[in-house]
Amino acid sequence: MRYLSLAVKNLRRRVVRTALTVAGVGLAVAVAVSLGGFVLGYRAAIDRSIDMLGFQVMIMAKGCPYEAATMMLKGGSGLLYLPDDSYAKVKGDADIASITPVFVGIAQKEAGSIRDEGSEKTFTVVDGVDVPSFLSMKPWLKLKTGPGYDGGKWFGPASKDEIVLGYEIAEFEQRKVGDSFYATITPAGKPDPVRHEFKVSGVLERTGTQDDGTVFMPIDAARAAFNRPRQLTILGIKLKQFNLFTMREFESRWLKLPEVQVVSLQQVKNTLIGLVATAQTMVAAVAIIAVVVALIGVINTILMSVYERTAEIGVMKALGARRGDVFQLIWLETLMICVAGAVVGSIGAWVGASLVERAIKSLADFGVSGSIVRITPGVVGYAVLGAVILGFFAGLYPAWRASSMRPVEAIREGA
Amino acid sequence: MNENIIEARGLKRHYLRGIETVKALDGVDLAIKEGEMVSILGPSGSGKTTLINLLSCLDAPTQGSLTVSGKQVAGLSEDELVEIRRGVLGFVFQQFHLLPTLTVAENVELPLTFLGRPVDPKKTREVLALVGLSDRADHLPRELSGGQMQRVAIARALIVEPKILVADEPTGNLDKAAGEAIFELFKRLARQGIAIIITTHNVALGYEADRVVTLEDGRIVKEELP
Repeated sequence: MRYLSLAVKNLRRRVVRTALTVAGVGLAVAVAVSLGGFVLGYRAAIDRSIDMLGFQVMIMAKGCPYEAATMMLKGGSGLLYLPDDSYAKVKGDADIASITPVFVGIAQKEAGSIRDEGSEKTFTVVDGVDVPSFLSMKPWLKLKTGPGYDGGKWFGPASKDEIVLGYEIAEFEQRKVGDSFYATITPAGKPDPVRHEFKVSGVLERTGTQDDGTVFMPIDAARAAFNRPRQLTILGIKLKQFNLFTMREFESRWLKLPEVQVVSLQQVKNTLIGLVATAQTMVAAVAIIAVVVALIGVINTILMSVYERTAEIGVMKALGARRGDVFQLIWLETLMICVAGAVVGSIGAWVGASLVERAIKSLADFGVSGSIVRITPGVVGYAVLGAVILGFFAGLYPAWRASSMRPVEAIREGA
Repeated sequence: MNENIIEARGLKRHYLRGIETVKALDGVDLAIKEGEMVSILGPSGSGKTTLINLLSCLDAPTQGSLTVSGKQVAGLSEDELVEIRRGVLGFVFQQFHLLPTLTVAENVELPLTFLGRPVDPKKTREVLALVGLSDRADHLPRELSGGQMQRVAIARALIVEPKILVADEPTGNLDKAAGEAIFELFKRLARQGIAIIITTHNVALGYEADRVVTLEDGRIVKEELP
C-alpha cells in the first residue's frame, strides 16, 4: 500500500463529492484553456489573414483606423474612397516593389442561393482588381479545376460582365464556371439599384481567408457598376525593404496627399488585437474567478475530508505516520483532484473548441477568417501546470491542518 | 529474568479545563516487563486511558519520568514521540479504526507504508493466520463481524513486530465470546515476548492478565497478581 493508491482510495470514498470538485476544477481549466486557445488562435488568425492580404502597406482614405482594419479583411460598410490619381502618384515611388489598386464595393446577391439566408448574408463583398498586379501580390490564388471548373480563367481588363468567385461563395451559391451570377448594385448618387447578370469565368481554390467569400471583377467594370469611375478603395503595396524606418519614411512621404492614410500591416494587426483586448480581459477575469472558485471548492472538499477522517488520521499517526507522511497523503489527494480536473477540463475545452469558436464569433465580428480558437499541447500543458500549482496551494492548509493533529485528540474527537 | 520495557516514576498528567486544573493522572509508579500482560482496571474517569496514552507515547506527561524501550519519554515533543512509537508500539482501539476502503490485508500492511518498510505478502499471511483470519485477506472491513475487525486491528499492530502492544478497551464493542477470544490471543502474544497493556471495564477478563492494576482518581490503588 503506497501513498498514491491510498490517496486514490480515499478520494473514492465520496465519489460524488470528488467528482463535483473535479468538475469545478475542470470548468476553470476549460475556461482557461479556451481563453488561451482563443488568444493564440486569434493572433494566428490575424497573422494569417493579414499575411494573406499579400500587402505590407496599404494606402486608403482617412477614417477610423478600426474600420479601415476590418474593412481590409471583411469588406465592411461605409466604405471610403481614394481619388483615382492617388494610384498614379504613388506607383512611381522608388521604395515600392509592387503595387495594386483595389476597388471594394458591397452588392446584394439576388436569389442565387437555394438556402434560407439571414438578411446580412444576402450581401457580398465585390473586389474590383487589376489581375496582373493583384496576382503578383497573391501568387497563391489558384483557379479550381475538375468537373464544372475546368476551363476557368481570370477575366480580361476590359471585360464587363465576367467575375471570379471565391471558394466559399461559389459553394454557397452553387455556382460553377459558365454559370450566371445575379447581383444588385446601387450606383453612387443614384436612387435605384441596378440588377446585373455576371458570368462566372472561374472559381478559386480555398484559401482560408476573406478571399473565399469575395466576388472578383475587373476594376474598371466594378467602378462603373458602382458609379465611382475615378475612385479606389485601397492601394496594396509591397516595399522593396520593409522595416520600421522605411515604413516611416514611406508614410511621411505619402501622408501629404489629402484624405489619405498609410497603414502598415503591423498597425492593422495591432488594431485588430486591440479590438478584442477588452473582451479578452473580461474573459480572463471570468477565468480568474472560476479558478478562485475552484480553489475554494478544492480546499473545502479536502478540509471536509480531513475533518471526517480525524480519528483515522489520529490512528495513522499512532501507527507511526510522521507529520510529513500525513501532509504528503492529504497533499497528494489535493493534487490528484486538480490534475484530474485539468485533464477533464482540457479534454472538454478541446472537444468544445468549435462550440466556443461559434459562440465567440456569434458575439462579435473579429474581422478575421478561419479558426480563431487554437488549442495546442502548449496551452494544455500550461493549464495542467496551472492546475498543479492550484493543487499545490489548495492542499497546503488542509494538509498542514491534518498533519498538525495530535493523535490522542484526533482519535478522541473523531471517535 | 525479563527486563523492564516500560518504567514510570511519579507520572502525572494534568489538564487545564477553563481555570480548573484536572489531575487526570496524579503520581503513578509502574514498571512493565517484556512478555508481561498487564490489565488496567478502574471506573470511568479514573485515568486508565490517560495512563495508557502516556505509556504508549501518544501523549507526554506533565511531570515524572517515563522510559519506554530504554528511551526517556518525558519532555519530548510530538515529533520526537512518534519516533519512539515507530516500530516499538502496536495499538488496538475499542472502535477498531480500520480504513473502510482498504481490504483486510491492506489495512494490516498500512503501518509498513508509514515506516517505509516493504510489504511482504508472506508476512501478512502469517500475521492474519495468527489472528485466525487467513481466509479474509481480501475482504473489506464492512464484510466482517466486530470480533473479526478487532482481530484485523491486532494483526495491523503485529505486522511491525512491536515490543509493546497497547489495547484501549479492546473488547468494549465485542460480545463475550469474541472478547474472550481476543484475550486468549493476547495471552499467546505475551508468551511470544510482547508486553501487553490492556485497559478494560470487564473485570473478569482483566483478571486473565499476569498482573492487574486498579486506578482510582488518577492513582494506582491496587496491584494484584491473579
